[in-house]
Amino acid sequence: MRVKLWGTRGSIPSPGPETIRYGGNTSCVGVTLSDGSMLALDAGTGIRGLGLALAAEPARLHILLTHLHLDHIQGLVFFAPAFRAQTEIVIWGPASPEASLRDRIARYVSAPLSPVEVRELPCDVSFHHCPEAEWEIGPARIRAASVAHRGPTLGYRIDDGDSSLAYIPDHEPALGADLDELDGDWISGLGLARDASLLIHDGQYEDAEYPDHLGWGHSSVSHAISFARRAGADRTLLFHHDPTHTDAQLDQLGRRARERWVELGGEADGLDLAVELAEYELPARAASAASAT
Amino acid sequence: MTQKPLELILARNLMSALSTPAFLVDEGGVLVFYNEAAGTLLGKRFEELGTVGPEEWGSMFGPFDASGEPIPYDELPLVIAVRNGRPAHADFEISSADGERQQVEASAFPILTAHGSRGAIAVFWPAEASNGAGP
Repeated sequence: MRVKLWGTRGSIPSPGPETIRYGGNTSCVGVTLSDGSMLALDAGTGIRGLGLALAAEPARLHILLTHLHLDHIQGLVFFAPAFRAQTEIVIWGPASPEASLRDRIARYVSAPLSPVEVRELPCDVSFHHCPEAEWEIGPARIRAASVAHRGPTLGYRIDDGDSSLAYIPDHEPALGADLDELDGDWISGLGLARDASLLIHDGQYEDAEYPDHLGWGHSSVSHAISFARRAGADRTLLFHHDPTHTDAQLDQLGRRARERWVELGGEADGLDLAVELAEYELPARAASAASAT
Repeated sequence: MTQKPLELILARNLMSALSTPAFLVDEGGVLVFYNEAAGTLLGKRFEELGTVGPEEWGSMFGPFDASGEPIPYDELPLVIAVRNGRPAHADFEISSADGERQQVEASAFPILTAHGSRGAIAVFWPAEASNGAGP
C-alpha cells in the first residue's frame, strides 16, 4: 500500500509563503492499493492535485469521506476525473438520519455554491453510506466507525495484505475522557487505530490552545500523543494542521511533540507531522515501520 | 479489538461528568456503566462491580414497588427504553449494598442512531432531591 498526502491542513485552505512546507491544502490522502486500485481519503482542496496527477485512467476510483465539513469536500468540484465520462467514482461517507449522502453533498455541489450540479457531472458517480461491517475494495478490507467530532463523522481503517492505514483526521477522543486511564474499548477510534502500520491523526492544537477550543472536535498534541501511544501504531502522523500555524510554528510544535513522544518511550521516528506531498510505502507491519520516501 | 459504539462512549463521558446518578446499558441490555453518583446511591462503585448482564442487574438493588414487591425486570424503565425504543419513567424503591432502601424516580430513554439502537440511559432522582427541585 502506498500513501501520499495531498492535503494536510485543517479547517480552511491556507496557502502562502508561511505555509509552503507543510502545505495549505485541506484534507486529502491518496492510497494506492497493492493491485494498483486507487482510493482518496477525503476530498478537501488537496484532491485537486490528486486528480491532476491521475492519468485518464483508472476507470474507477473510490472516495472515502470522513464527514461533510467543507474542508473535507471542497475539492470535489475541482477533481478532474469527475469530469471524464469514462470514470466511475464511488463516494462513501457517513449516514445521517437527516438526508442521504448524495443529497447532503449536493448542497455544496449545486448553485449558488457550485457552477455544476451532481447530475451534471460527466462521470458515473454513486454514493454509499458506509456499512457498519467491514467491506472490500479490491484487495483491501475497509472498516469505518463513528468517531468523536462534531456531526456524523467516520474514521477509516484500510488493511491490504499485512499493512494497514488508520485515518482519523478530525477527532477529539479526549473530550470528557482520560485517554491514559480508560479501557481501550471505551476510547473513540482506538479500535480502528490499534496496531496500524500508519496512523494519520488529528493534532490541530498546541496544548495551550486546546482549552479555548474544547468541544470543537479536534485534538491537542498531547491528546494525540496519548491516543497514538494507546494505539501502538508503527508510525503516527499528526494531521489537520491549524490554519493559523505557520511552518515555523509547526517546526516547533513537531519538535516538542517528538521530544514528548520519546520521553514517553516512543521510537524516535514513530511520530511526525504530516507534510503535504509526502509519500509513504507501508510494509507489512511485522517487517518495519512505514518509511517515508 | 472490540470497540464500543461512539454513542455509548460519548454517553459514558457525559455521565462521568454528571452529579446525577445515571446508568448505561448497551443494545443487548448489558449494564456497561454507571457513574460515581449512581455508585454512591447504590453503595457500590461501578469499578467494583463491572459489567452486568441483562436480567441480572435488574434484581441486584431491588427495585420494589410501593407495596414492597419486586418490580418485574420487563417493567423497569431502562428495559422498556432499550427493548421498545421509547422513553419510560417510574417511581420505585431501591436497596443499596448496605441494605438501606431509598425512594427514587427513574427516567430512561433509548439511544437510537442511523444504524439502529445502541442502548439506553437511565437517570435516577432520589425522592428528596426531586421534591421541589429543578425547573
